Amino acid sequence: MIHHTRRLLSLSTAVLVASSSLAFAEPSAELIAAAKAEGKLTTIALPHSWCGYGDVIAGFKAKYGLEINELNPDAGSGDEIEAIKANKGNTGDQAPDVIDVGLSFGPSAKAEGLIQPYKVSTWDSIPAEAKDADGYWYGDYYGVMSFLVNKDLVKESPKDWADLLKPEFANMVALSGDPRTGNQPIVAVFAAGLSAAGGDIAKAGEAGLNFFKELNEKGNFVPVTGKAAPFAQGTTPIIAAWDYNALSWGDSLKGNPPFEVIVPSSGVVAGVYVQAISAFAPHPNAAKLWMEYLYSDEGQLGWLKGYCHPIRFNDLAANGKIPKELLDKLPPAEGYAKAIFPTLDEQATFKKTITEGWDKVVGAAVQ
Amino acid sequence: MKTNKILAWFVVAFGATYFIVPLLATFEFSLRMRRGEYSFDAYATVFSDVSFRESFSYSIAMAIATIAFGTLLVVPTAYWVRLRLPQMRPVVEFITLMPLVIPAIVLVFGYLRLYNSSSMIPFTGTTRGTDLLFLFALMTLSLPYTYRSIDASMRAIDVATLTEAAQSLGASWTTILFKCIFPNVISGVLSGAFITFAIVIGEFTIPSLLNRPAFGPYLQLIGANRAYEPPALAMIAFAMTWLSMGAIQLLSRFTISAPAKP
Amino acid sequence: MIKETARMSASKADLNRKIFDWLGIAPFMLFALMFLVVPTLYLVTGAFQNAAGEWTLENIRGLFTDKILASFSISIRISLASALGGALIGFLMSWALVLGGLPSWVRSLVLTFCGVASNFAGVPLAFAFLATLGRMGLVTLLLRDWFGINLYATGFNLLSFLGLTLTYMYFQIPLMVLIVTPAIDGLRKEWREAAEILGANIFQYWTKVALPILFPSIMGSFLLLFANAFGAIATAYALTGSSLNIVPIQLYAQIRGDVLHNANLGYALAFGMIVITGISNVIYIFLRMRAERWQK
Repeated sequence: MIHHTRRLLSLSTAVLVASSSLAFAEPSAELIAAAKAEGKLTTIALPHSWCGYGDVIAGFKAKYGLEINELNPDAGSGDEIEAIKANKGNTGDQAPDVIDVGLSFGPSAKAEGLIQPYKVSTWDSIPAEAKDADGYWYGDYYGVMSFLVNKDLVKESPKDWADLLKPEFANMVALSGDPRTGNQPIVAVFAAGLSAAGGDIAKAGEAGLNFFKELNEKGNFVPVTGKAAPFAQGTTPIIAAWDYNALSWGDSLKGNPPFEVIVPSSGVVAGVYVQAISAFAPHPNAAKLWMEYLYSDEGQLGWLKGYCHPIRFNDLAANGKIPKELLDKLPPAEGYAKAIFPTLDEQATFKKTITEGWDKVVGAAVQ
Repeated sequence: MKTNKILAWFVVAFGATYFIVPLLATFEFSLRMRRGEYSFDAYATVFSDVSFRESFSYSIAMAIATIAFGTLLVVPTAYWVRLRLPQMRPVVEFITLMPLVIPAIVLVFGYLRLYNSSSMIPFTGTTRGTDLLFLFALMTLSLPYTYRSIDASMRAIDVATLTEAAQSLGASWTTILFKCIFPNVISGVLSGAFITFAIVIGEFTIPSLLNRPAFGPYLQLIGANRAYEPPALAMIAFAMTWLSMGAIQLLSRFTISAPAKP
Repeated sequence: MIKETARMSASKADLNRKIFDWLGIAPFMLFALMFLVVPTLYLVTGAFQNAAGEWTLENIRGLFTDKILASFSISIRISLASALGGALIGFLMSWALVLGGLPSWVRSLVLTFCGVASNFAGVPLAFAFLATLGRMGLVTLLLRDWFGINLYATGFNLLSFLGLTLTYMYFQIPLMVLIVTPAIDGLRKEWREAAEILGANIFQYWTKVALPILFPSIMGSFLLLFANAFGAIATAYALTGSSLNIVPIQLYAQIRGDVLHNANLGYALAFGMIVITGISNVIYIFLRMRAERWQK
């Protein structure tokens, strides 16, 4: 009887020891073996210059020897969801295993039954607001809305949203997409509104629309989608985009033209993106292994190299795991200290306001 | 006829200006990669990219296949409708107009639903199968243009008389189609072929969603984040497509004897 | 008795011939069914369903809101404008190529170029025009530096209806040229000679003989150009981004958009586009039937 209890005790102690070390351990050998048996992973919407995904993907391939099948890198969050829906029952190469979408798409995808839960081994170090309690979706990185400025055409860079209304920026300001459909431009409008409304989140959507209406009437707004090519060509010298995009576009230009990335002094909005595994993933184990890699220190730092703030940033910083050179390449930290992380409800509200109001308020019918 | 010629030259010159100037502007920008001087850096970057060569050759292969099978499908159909089923002409024409307004994205979603790996006709289950599905999709996309040009060409010849004459000489249907009708509509076939070629090279949505390594997705990928390479790529694609069409034109001149001029 | 048997075998032959007729068109019909009609049937059914799958006319009613009616209106106007411009200029170029007495290499060169240009659309085309006539465009800057003309001060703006139409014509004109050239090829020299013998001058020849003959082809091409512009989205999107509200952009916003995302409304929009194309097709067929009355 005594040795039964002792065995029980030692067993439970062993389990306790094992579970606490699991939090920082490598993915289990079974997972790796199962993933290798599947042989490949299908990703979607991962441009190589977005958050340094090029290197992250290469790192994953080198470490585990799996093949990665990359679908449409230019897809938006909506496209990724549609891709899962369209490929229900299809185990061919067109079906994505994992998605990387804007925060508000997590809960809606879960509600539609499109994703499956998985808690990575570093689960606990992910902030609670950035993940689903049941493990369906989890934040991966964030960035803040900033200005990308062409120094050839702009003598003095704007420091804040209100500056953009100045006459010297006539025909210069552009968004990175269509505010009726794209996450990035919608948040840009919100950020402008937040600055104009003095920090009042509830009023920011409406205020943002009015800001862009004024920008358009003053002739400062260029309705062309801002990207690397029109930026260099001169059509869109000032683009409102995520800091990591601005930095990597700027880098790719190699000084032609010289650029500057400015985090505005007010209206600093952070956008969180989330990872999830498709409920119909043809390679679920490869997908899980991918998640383990992304949330390991290696994966998180890979994103930081691409100028994105990984979700475990605070945890990594506290443990002194972040190399100084990486930190130096990012814009000054004070800008980020003011960043607002809108909640899901707040996001839903301002998205609705902006997408429905854009045409009425700003989009003057082209004559 | 002198005024005719002058007017003709004027029209062509005017058209040429309108078409060449935007290309010049694109070219000029693509040369600006190196700061302060003109250089072919952007082009060097593009040509050294393996994916460029692979995706372009894949698309060219698909283009040729689409032209071949598309022509094979449309010429007999247009001929038959003219000859035997004129009441079906409005229906067929309406069908051929549909690919223009049905967004490609809807078409592909439809394919994924109907022909995915767990359905009765699992095209997407294998790579070759997906290639085949892609081919059919491209044929569908080029249908409006090929049908319209071949039909315009066929209007000019009297199909009924030609057929009767050939039949009275004892020709079979295939002989009539390939030896009598086809050579007379070659002008329409070529026009359709040119348009099809350009469509296939540039098509993005379908190969993107079907996950085939075509040129369109490659173009999109480069265009998303690079500044100077996309215009360079556009120029290269333009030039190579033009050259390929010139090749098709030359080939047609040598392999198919021209019909006797009336 | 013999007469009846003869009649029966005649009608049997008729039936056989009819079956044979329909068989001839079967491959095309099967192809169209498998790869065009059926995949888009769910689009049509989707237009009449809501997100839960129940039948409803809500989406169709949704088409008649101000915003969407405005987008249909502007879509139709741009399509008509670019189709008209494309048809006129394209026809002129076609005439020049076939009947202008130009050397034959010009024809090959232009036709193959048209082949490429007819599909030069989307982002590269928008970029090309921005690089030419945009505020920092080559031509804009040249006009300013060499001739002292400020293009934008005259009120011109590339990012406008006129600018978009101008850009659309880049692929409309070549399309017209490619499709109408074979038709002009078919104008027999004898007709021209016969008209001259009867004392007609150039103007009369064209208005009384050539144009009526070419009318069905021209109308058919015009319709094709219209539908082509109507369904085009990439160029407009790349050029005017968020300020222009044409139907395909609305459609895409609903089907793939991040937020608006009412796929069924998107399908209803696509259904609306099909209906409009159908109506224009009917008009074209009616006009063509009248034009072809004298033929055969």
